[in-house]
Amino acid sequence: MLEINDLATAYGKIEALKGVSLAAKAGEVTCLLGPNGAGKSTLMLTLTGILKPQRGSVKFDGVELVGRSPAEIVARGLALVPENRLVFPTLTVRENLMAGAYKRRDMAGIRSDIDAMFARFPRLKERTEQFAGTLSGGEQQMLAVARALMSRPRLLLMDEPSVGLAPMVVAEIFAIIRQLHAEGVSIFLVEQNAHMALKVAQHFYLMKQGRISFSGTPGELANDDVIQRAYLGQQRPDERPALPSTAAAPTPSAEPQPQAEATEVAQR
Amino acid sequence: MTAFLQLTLDGLIDGGAYALVGLGLSLTFGSLRRLNLAYGATAMLAAYCGAWLHIQHQAPVWLVALTVMVAATLIGGYVEGLCFARTEKNTASTDAAPLAGADGLEVVALASSFAIWMQLEQLAVNLLPRHLNAFPSLATEQDWRLGELMIRPDRLLLALLATALTLGLAAWLQRSRAGLSWRACADHRLAAHLVGMPVARLKSVGFAAACALSGLAATAILLLDGQVTPMFGMWVLLKGLVAAMLGGLGSVRGALWGGLLLGVSESHAQALWGAWGREFATYALLFLVLVAPWRRHRSDRLVSGVHA
Repeated sequence: MLEINDLATAYGKIEALKGVSLAAKAGEVTCLLGPNGAGKSTLMLTLTGILKPQRGSVKFDGVELVGRSPAEIVARGLALVPENRLVFPTLTVRENLMAGAYKRRDMAGIRSDIDAMFARFPRLKERTEQFAGTLSGGEQQMLAVARALMSRPRLLLMDEPSVGLAPMVVAEIFAIIRQLHAEGVSIFLVEQNAHMALKVAQHFYLMKQGRISFSGTPGELANDDVIQRAYLGQQRPDERPALPSTAAAPTPSAEPQPQAEATEVAQR
Repeated sequence: MTAFLQLTLDGLIDGGAYALVGLGLSLTFGSLRRLNLAYGATAMLAAYCGAWLHIQHQAPVWLVALTVMVAATLIGGYVEGLCFARTEKNTASTDAAPLAGADGLEVVALASSFAIWMQLEQLAVNLLPRHLNAFPSLATEQDWRLGELMIRPDRLLLALLATALTLGLAAWLQRSRAGLSWRACADHRLAAHLVGMPVARLKSVGFAAACALSGLAATAILLLDGQVTPMFGMWVLLKGLVAAMLGGLGSVRGALWGGLLLGVSESHAQALWGAWGREFATYALLFLVLVAPWRRHRSDRLVSGVHA
């Protein structure tokens, strides 16, 4: 469904993606793991046309996306649930959903989809006319997912939906992901929370410093010794947990950050 | 009592003009999060183009009005391209974009719009070097009477136009899908990109509309006076800024309330203390808005994205 080939994106002279190749299959949840700064969000912004890549190609159902505007890419059926939600803070919940359907012209369909979103996310229904900026983090995440779904995407991109949320809310978000998958929505998920991702995804990629360093099934991921220690938090007996002192995580996360172990992954 | 009512009525009617000029300024700020200092000069140069047509070719009122609006839109495009488009471009496509107005480039935009202000004003003065320049007049000799109160029909018309425009625009912003997309772009640029909105185009259209509106405001105001002077640009900027800030920059209805409040305060202050009082009222109100304690709790409403 989605085929990414040798994709490279830079911020000025700093190359954030150094030739990334991966694929996401229709009907599957594909998960991209990686530490902070690996280039995961850059990849997402490149896929959605916000950032222009230096080279490489992104094929979505055979159609090249590189060079197209974000608006065209949304119209083709790709929608991103961005990192940190990015809801419209001074628009109401209902208006956020309306904005998500910007590329659609079928008003009747939009209205019934809004009702469907409220049925799926009852907490949003209670806050229909509330400004999105006043919602809790978890509610904003649900709104961000609902807003993306309003464009009726064929592939839903999700950039770290669990970041900054309480464990209970994270579980709720992943329940939604499972539900969407069961309904046949194809999902490309970026995560740091490998434990939760293992429960929903059918294929995994690991990204490290702008490159893909691992590709495999959940079983292969769970059996990989380095990933075990970096992402699933199992320490070798001779190792001291070095996380709190060295890992300067810019965003709070309920799960351990993998930076401390990241150098080992690079040496594979 | 009659005097008090008359002053209030005069103030409300004057406030209509302030609301109109405040509206354009509020819209540009609300969609770009940049203060356009060349706003008054744009309206002035456009008005001078209209006055020039009137003086040189005895153009009729409708043609003058049309010229002023078109000229304001074109000059606005020039201002936007020079001062605002570039300071936008750098942030439009990066993660930093969501924090609109927090990138330091607003200072660059502010300074360059000041430079363009000077340039436009000089152009206007070169076009018509005299201090007083004739502008078509719609002023009527006969005042209307409402019991003891006197109303100038042309001024009343302006105030009604301002009210209708403001409330109409507010309703459009609140109810229509196009209005929603405009608010969404002003609210969060990156998110607007992500839902597929043509952010750059919406911004340019918004800027052009705000400039056309400033042209309309300038025409309406000058039609009452029948003349235009080089002070007009400064007047538009100052009164517009105070009216817009009173109502909260970015708010459409706020510009109306701000304009009316400014008009009424000025009218009463002038009756009490003369011309000095009028100026004092303007700045005192601005000062109050900026330091008022109640703002502390709602500081985000002092400036915000375009909203009804």
